[in-house]
Amino acid sequence: MGWGEITSLQLDAIQEVGNIGTGNAATALSQMTGRTVDIGVPEAKIVPIYEIAEQYGSPEDLVCAVLIRTEGDLPCNFIFLIREEDSRGLADLLIPMDISSMDEEMQAQMRESALSEVGNIVLGAFLNAISMLTGYVLPASVPSVAHDMLGAIMDVVASMFGVLGDAALLVKTSLRVKDMQHEVGGSVIMVPDPGALESLLQRLGV
Amino acid sequence: MGMADLVAIKKTGILVTLGLGSCIGLVLFDQQNKIAGMAHIMLPDSRESASVLKPGKFADTAVPQLLDEMKALGASKSNIKAKFAGGAQMFNIPGKSSSFLAVGARNAEATKDLLRKHGITVVAEDTGGSKGRSVEFNLVTCMLMVKTLGMGTKEI
Repeated sequence: MGWGEITSLQLDAIQEVGNIGTGNAATALSQMTGRTVDIGVPEAKIVPIYEIAEQYGSPEDLVCAVLIRTEGDLPCNFIFLIREEDSRGLADLLIPMDISSMDEEMQAQMRESALSEVGNIVLGAFLNAISMLTGYVLPASVPSVAHDMLGAIMDVVASMFGVLGDAALLVKTSLRVKDMQHEVGGSVIMVPDPGALESLLQRLGV
Repeated sequence: MGMADLVAIKKTGILVTLGLGSCIGLVLFDQQNKIAGMAHIMLPDSRESASVLKPGKFADTAVPQLLDEMKALGASKSNIKAKFAGGAQMFNIPGKSSSFLAVGARNAEATKDLLRKHGITVVAEDTGGSKGRSVEFNLVTCMLMVKTLGMGTKEI
């Protein structure tokens, strides 16, 4: 079964997972940064895999993506996507000291580690939501962080979906950390392995 | 050109694909007759997938389709040569060798195999690594410009 054959009731159920997941993520981020974190209403939608990149911008836009893979009851890849320019601000919020006097290499390493943690928090919150709703045990891999062109990142995402069919499920989320110059909008993309989607929907009872 | 697209052109023009990650930007060209085609290949093998809506999506369907379209434009099989770029591995999870994450390498390998099977010489390639690429093929010069993020631009 691919995402193309999903019913609107099933899409609603996934959206609810997104709602709970985003709520959990906001709470976790808020605790870590000590700031207020607002969330927008997540939107779950099905798009053709060939148009995934266009949902987020132009192919050469620079983005930061954090990927976590789960095994066990639900073999699945989860990706958290933010704009490159936002990733720096978000990373700095998690680093509890001024690192501007450190050398470039060290700064980059610290930000990388912080972003990996952001991915852990946001995606971990999603996994918790799924665990809670399904009773699944979801052991997760360590996060992998990539900074690249949107098109290049989405190539990988589209290929993962592409094995299943020609449609992809995107859960668009928006997390706004208060006191930052601008809004940080993140997206979660969930790519189940072949067969995993059926079992998830079954567990959700739709 | 977007994902899984496949296009053949004649006489003059430029074929462009922006932001290639694990995918392959494959160019076949007949320099004598000035005919070229490009495909944005996403996956190695159509037999692993449930549906084949676009032949450009898979290496094993893209290569014959591209050859057919170029021949229809008047290309001669014996003149056709290949250049390709892409096939990077964007994500790396330590201790895991998920075939999904290594799809770039499998794409490059499959493309090379398919070209060999069809008797087409690969004159240049730029594959692997962990960074995205944008490619631009100029039919007049038959050069493929490859722009790799953070590593500048080169012509192959």
